[in-house]
Order: sequence, then structure tokens, then C-alpha cells
Amino acid sequence: MAEKMVVSTPNPSPQIKKKEKHQGPMFVLKRWNAVAMWSWDVSCDTCAICKHHVMDACLRCQTDGKQEECVVVWGECNHSYHNCCMALWMQHSDKCPLCSSDWIVSRTGK
Amino acid sequence: MFHQEGIKFESKWENIALVAGKVLRQENIKKQEWWDLFQDISNVCNWDEKGAHKIHDELRQLIKQHINQIQESVLSNNDEASLLAAYIREWTRFFQQCNYLPLPFRVVEDAMRNKMAVATMKKDIDQSLIYKLMLQEWNDNIFHSIRDKIHGAAMRLVEMERSGESFDKQLVIGVRESYVNLSTDHTDPLRIYKEHFERKYLESTDNYYKAHASAYLASNGVLNYLKYADAKLAEEELRGKQYLETVKSIKSVELLKECLVRCLVDSFRDQILAECLKLITDNNIEYLRMMFMLIDRVPGAVSAILNHLEDYIYQAGLDDMRQCADTITTDPEKYVEELLKLFNRFSKLVAQAFNSDTRFLTSRDKAYKKVVNDTTVFKLELPTSRATTNKTAPESKCPELLALFCDQLLRKSPLSKKMTPQEIEEKLKNLLLVLKYVQNKDVFMKYHKSHLTRRLILEMSVDSELEENMVEWLRDIGMPVEFVNKLARMFQDIKVSEDLNQRFKENLHDQEPTTADSVNIKILNAAAWSRGSDYVPVALPTELDEYIPSVEEFYKKSHSGRKLQWHHLLSNGTVTFQNAVGTFELEVTTFQMSILFAFNQRPEDQISFESLKLATQLPDTELRRTLFSLVASAKLKLQVLKMSPAVKNAKDFDNSTNFFINQEFGIFRQGKLQKRAKLSLVGRLILTTEKAKKEEEEGIVQLRILRVQEAIVKILKMRKTVNNASLQTELVEILKNMFLPQKKMIKEQIEWLIEHKYMQRDEENINTFIYLA
Repeated sequence: MAEKMVVSTPNPSPQIKKKEKHQGPMFVLKRWNAVAMWSWDVSCDTCAICKHHVMDACLRCQTDGKQEECVVVWGECNHSYHNCCMALWMQHSDKCPLCSSDWIVSRTGK
Repeated sequence: MFHQEGIKFESKWENIALVAGKVLRQENIKKQEWWDLFQDISNVCNWDEKGAHKIHDELRQLIKQHINQIQESVLSNNDEASLLAAYIREWTRFFQQCNYLPLPFRVVEDAMRNKMAVATMKKDIDQSLIYKLMLQEWNDNIFHSIRDKIHGAAMRLVEMERSGESFDKQLVIGVRESYVNLSTDHTDPLRIYKEHFERKYLESTDNYYKAHASAYLASNGVLNYLKYADAKLAEEELRGKQYLETVKSIKSVELLKECLVRCLVDSFRDQILAECLKLITDNNIEYLRMMFMLIDRVPGAVSAILNHLEDYIYQAGLDDMRQCADTITTDPEKYVEELLKLFNRFSKLVAQAFNSDTRFLTSRDKAYKKVVNDTTVFKLELPTSRATTNKTAPESKCPELLALFCDQLLRKSPLSKKMTPQEIEEKLKNLLLVLKYVQNKDVFMKYHKSHLTRRLILEMSVDSELEENMVEWLRDIGMPVEFVNKLARMFQDIKVSEDLNQRFKENLHDQEPTTADSVNIKILNAAAWSRGSDYVPVALPTELDEYIPSVEEFYKKSHSGRKLQWHHLLSNGTVTFQNAVGTFELEVTTFQMSILFAFNQRPEDQISFESLKLATQLPDTELRRTLFSLVASAKLKLQVLKMSPAVKNAKDFDNSTNFFINQEFGIFRQGKLQKRAKLSLVGRLILTTEKAKKEEEEGIVQLRILRVQEAIVKILKMRKTVNNASLQTELVEILKNMFLPQKKMIKEQIEWLIEHKYMQRDEENINTFIYLA
């Protein structure tokens, strides 16, 4: 493994060891690399404005290389879009593109 | 003098004729005589009404007489060289005098012309009537009667020179000059030269080589002929520059070149080209080069060489591949090396023999592309779901092999261990060169991404700088941008995760001591890494299970609107295994870990498959696969886990198959049992579950279908109506960066789009499609 281990002795680390009885367990955890995937907590995974997957940046952000900044925005109607797509949409309408209710932002992704 | 009445032509002509004769013959005349000539002519013109016309007529006679004399003396020469010499001598003299004789007769001209026009007349000698008269007379008399003899003689001299005899070049040059200057036609001053000299020169050249070239070819063979023709072309061009007129307004030398190419190259084109393939096969640079230079002079003829080259490269490439089929299908390094050798071999040939001419580079590329994408040696069959009808046509395995080689270079592997970063970079650059020619770049990207995922998750990269450079290199050679962007995003994720770990640990250190020191978290963007893979349940060791919520909580502090899904399929770790033999560090997947930890409570017991299913919570297929990796690891002599009864295949485990820890487990190094050792049981990290794997493999074809549909609609939207042929071409143009769409797939998707009313066929012409909005 490339990264230097904090626990470098082959002996089990003390806090794990003390949980077990006398001679210690047969298998002791030394290191764990956990992997998780995150995605926007949305009910529909396509942005209805730009027709792209909300996990992908919208095309403008892709071309500008701002993929990290392209977040998702949720309205009170619980519909969600790319934040920048919605900002453009708001220039000519204040309704939600999907349900036509007044668009009120409930939260923005981060 | 002024008052003498009746100065008549008759009284003066004798004197005028005498002096004019002397001028013509270039004899010495006194100043007084020259002066008197002006005076006399002027007087006659002034006093004799018809004087001017009479002088003009008589002068013509005088000139004619003079020319007749010259003609006689010239013709008295028996051999051609002296005839030419005499002609040139006489002409030179005559031509010089053409500039003098008209001067005293200007008055005559003025008188003969309309008086009004005189004032505006230019005084140029070229415009002089007498000058013209002189040339005209020369032309009509001597030139007309002996010109055939003269240029005949001149051409024979040239021919003698061709056969290696030397002579006075001035003779031919003199003749040419005489023709050039002998211009009576004002609109086309070089007409006489063109009609007589240039034409004859070209004719005689043509005749000479018609006879000589075919004789040479017949007795010396094509190869020698190439040399001969090459040398002759250069020689004749040089000769032409000497003997032909080279002023800018005339294209004699160009015409000569055309004529030479016609009779030296074009007429033997087929014979010459028949040798081409052999020269390429023999790698005979010298002669190929010559052949190229010769053939390239004939417009359009070079395409025959191009075709030979293309066919040959393709055939040679395939033969190479077939010969080494055994090694290269299993060893991607050998494969790339072999392809590279081929590429370099023909690049060198194109550079040396064909000057790296772009037309030849294109041929090389075309042929090379065919080799790289050929399916006769290796095939890759893309699996498709049943919904999209039967199989797609097989594709070359090349992209898969390239991706594998790339992984061997960038992963800590036996291959990369032996190399310096510079050497790896060089090999990667070679690989990219081959990759440029791969048609189905999407296949490469798919494999490359899987390999990269493994390297990043297991932290197995040789050099992170090389890794990131590679992403940019892929971008540079025009790999599909959306794929490349995802790769770039993966690296970003890794960096972001490192940060996250750091902050998380700092945060926890302030509090109580935890498992944190031995845990490393990667939280990745699902879209960039793997979209839509299912959550696989697995029982984690208690301390990890307790740990996870704190990570999630911490993550929520800096992010919102995100949901996390743990991918224990990718998680991995190290456990120490203590038994009677010794202590071993085992690198394991989380699934393996879950199974091993199940034995912690009952180290000596046998546990059934069914119980393990409960204890680990793993789905059946994953449990089988993982158990099998622990009971039958190919690289171990002694396995960590034992089974009873023993089976050969993971499928054969049944619920009552028992598993137990091998208490005699140990690791052998060079035949010796070690008490302490490290070992990885991870093997090739499995990225997806069995179920998801199938979906992902179909993913390439699915994605291609979508891309084809998308592109067809895009084209139709732009064109409104389009015929089948241009639709196909535009489609290939749009998609070629990713893959080469197969005809069948295009057809199917057109049908699909028609069925779903995206487009329709024109009622009058079924090969035309109309866009439906």
C-alpha cells in the first residue's frame, strides 16, 4: 500500500485487542479502505432543463471545466435541477418546469 | 544643293544602292558616304513625288539580291556544321545591319506613311518598315528555302550530343537565337521560334526517346531503366535550358518536360509499376525512391504506388500478427511491440523512399488502421441483450489488449517494477500511437477505466504523475471527451477523499481514540466511477460497523443533498492472521474479511455454507465467489480456508458444505515455510456483482445505440431531409472518435426512429429521410 500506515507493527492495535479474551482473536483488522459512492438525493436523476444526468455537470460547466461546482437545487415541490440550469430558467419564468408551481428553493446541494 | 531642281530618283539611286549595299555587306564606309546617304534619300523623297515608293521597291530588290548571295554562299557548305556556322554568321551580320540600314531610310517611311500619323509614330527600330522589310525578306527567301535544312542540322547536332559526341553548342544556340529574333509578327513575336524551332526540338526529342528508351528498357530491365530515365530526365532538362528559349513569356522548358515525361515515363508506366510490389517487399529504398520521383511526374499515376503500399502494409501486418498470434494474444506488451515495429518499419520506408509525402502517410495510416482493427487474429464479441436482436459483428481485441498493457505499465506490476518512469512514459507514448488508429475507442476507454478504478482503489499506481499525464495524453489523441472527463474526475475524487480523511481524523483526534487510524475512506462521485451498481449487503466486523455512522455524520456536515452508498465490493483491507505457525498479514477484500471474521468466534469449528450466508449476509453468488477465492487461491500452496467435501467449482458448494480455518496455514518463500509474511488475497479486484457485470458489458452496445440515435436525429434536425448515403457518411464522421458504427446497427436504429415517429421515409424515394419535429 502506498500510504504510510500509522499502525505499522504486525501486532494488533491495542484498542482492538483489548476487546478480546486471553490470547486474542485469530483475525485482527489492521487496516481498512472503505469505499462509498455519493450521488444527489433526487427522485428523478435527469435534469429536465438540460436533459443531462444530474450527476454529470451540465454542458456549460463541462465546457468551462467547472464540474465540481455544478450542484443540484431542490424546489419546495421536491423537483430538482442543476443549479445553473435553474438560474437560466429563472430569467424567463418563476415556475417549476415540471409542475408549474411557483419555484421556491428548498435547498442547494453542496 | 537646296535649289537644284528636279532631283530625280534615277539620278540618285545608283549612289544610294552602292552605299546601302556596303552597309548590308558590313563593308567599311566613310562618314561622308553615310552622311550623303541620308541627304540623298531625303532629297529624293522631297523632290521626287514617287521617290519614296521607288526607293522602297528598289531597296527591297537590293536586299533580296543580297540575301540571295548569302543563300548561295551558305548553301555551298556541304557538311551540316559548317552550313550552320555559315548561316549563323550571315544571320548575325544581317541582323546587326537591320539596326543600321533603316536609319537613313526613315524619310522614306515617313513619306510612305500617312503624314498625319508620323507625329505619333514611335521611333522604335522595331516599328520601322525597313526593318520589317529586311526581316520579311530574310524570312521569305533564305529562311523559307533552307530552314528545314537548318533545324534538321541543329537537331542532328543535339542528337549527336545525346549520343555522347561533343560539338560547338553555339551552333544550336545561334540557330535558336536567329529564330527568336526573326520576328515579323508583332502580336506574337516568338511565333517563328515556336512553330519551327520549339516544335522541331520537341519532335526530335520525342522521336529519339521513343526509339532509345524502349530499346534500353528491353535490354536492361526495369530497374536499370529507372536509373536511365531518371538520369535522362535531368540531362534533357539541363539541355533544354541551354537550347530552348527561357524568357518568362514562353514555356518551352515546361513543354519539353511534359514531352519527356510522356515518352520516358508515361509510355512505360505499366512496366515500371509492375516492379513496385517487389521493390516494396525487398525494401529497396533506392529504386522505390526513383520510381516515386518518376511516376509522380505523371499526373495521377502515383495512386498505383499508393495502392501497392497500402495492400502490402496490410498484408505484411496481418502476416506478422498471424505468425506471432500465440504470443501476442496473451502478452499485450508483445502485441504493442509488434504493432509498433510494423509502424516504424513502414514509417521509415515512407520517409526514405517517399519523402514522407502526405499521400503516402495517408496510405500508411489507412493500412495500419486496417491491421489494428482487423478481426482475423483476435475477436472481441460484444455481448448484447436479447432485446436488440442478434449479435453484433466481431471487433478487434486490440483496444482491450492496449488497455491491459497500459494497466501493466501504470500498476505496480512485475513489468513496471523493472522500468524507470521515463521508460514507462516512453512505452505509454508508443501505446498511444497505436491507440490513435483504433476504431472503437469506447472499448479501450471502458477497459482502461476499469483498470484505473482498480489501481486507484487499491492504491496500486506506480506514479500518480504519470497517471494524470496519461489522462491528458488520452485527451490529446482525441479520445472521446466525455470519457476522458470522467477519468479526470476520478483523480479529483481521490484528492478530495484524501482531504476528507485528513479532516475527519483531525476532528476525531480531539476526542477519544478510535478505529480511525486504521481506516481510510474514499467517497467517490457515483457518476464518474460506476453508475447504478447495486448495494451489496455484507456483515462488517463490529468495530467497522460502529464506525460508519460517524463518517456519514461528518460527511453531512460539509455536504448536503447527497446520499451515500457504501460499496463494500470495492472496499478492502489488511488483517493479521495468527495461528500456530505464525503471524501473517493478509490483504483481503471486505467480503473475504467478513467471512474470515465469522470464524473469530469459533476458531476451531467447521461452519456450513448456510451459516456463513447468515453470518456474512452476502448474496449467494458473491458468497460462493468469495469462498472459492479463499479455499482455492491459485497462488497458494496452503489455503487459508479448507472445505469439506472438496469441490472443483464455486457452483458446486451446497448449503451443507463445511468450511474451517486451516490452522497449519503458512506461506512458502523459496520453498521455506515463513513464520511471518505478507500476502494479498485480493487478486483481481472485482468491480461489479455478477448481475451488474452483465449489464455493464451490454453497456457498450447500449451506449452505442443511444449515440447512433442521437447522431441521426442531430443530422436530420440540421438537414431536414437527407438521403441514406450522406446520412451514413455524416454519421461516421460524428461518431468516429468513439466507434465505427456498423451498418446493421445504423439500419436498426433508423427503423426504430421511424417507428417512434422521429423521422419518416420520403414517399417518393425510400432512400430519403425526412425529419419529424
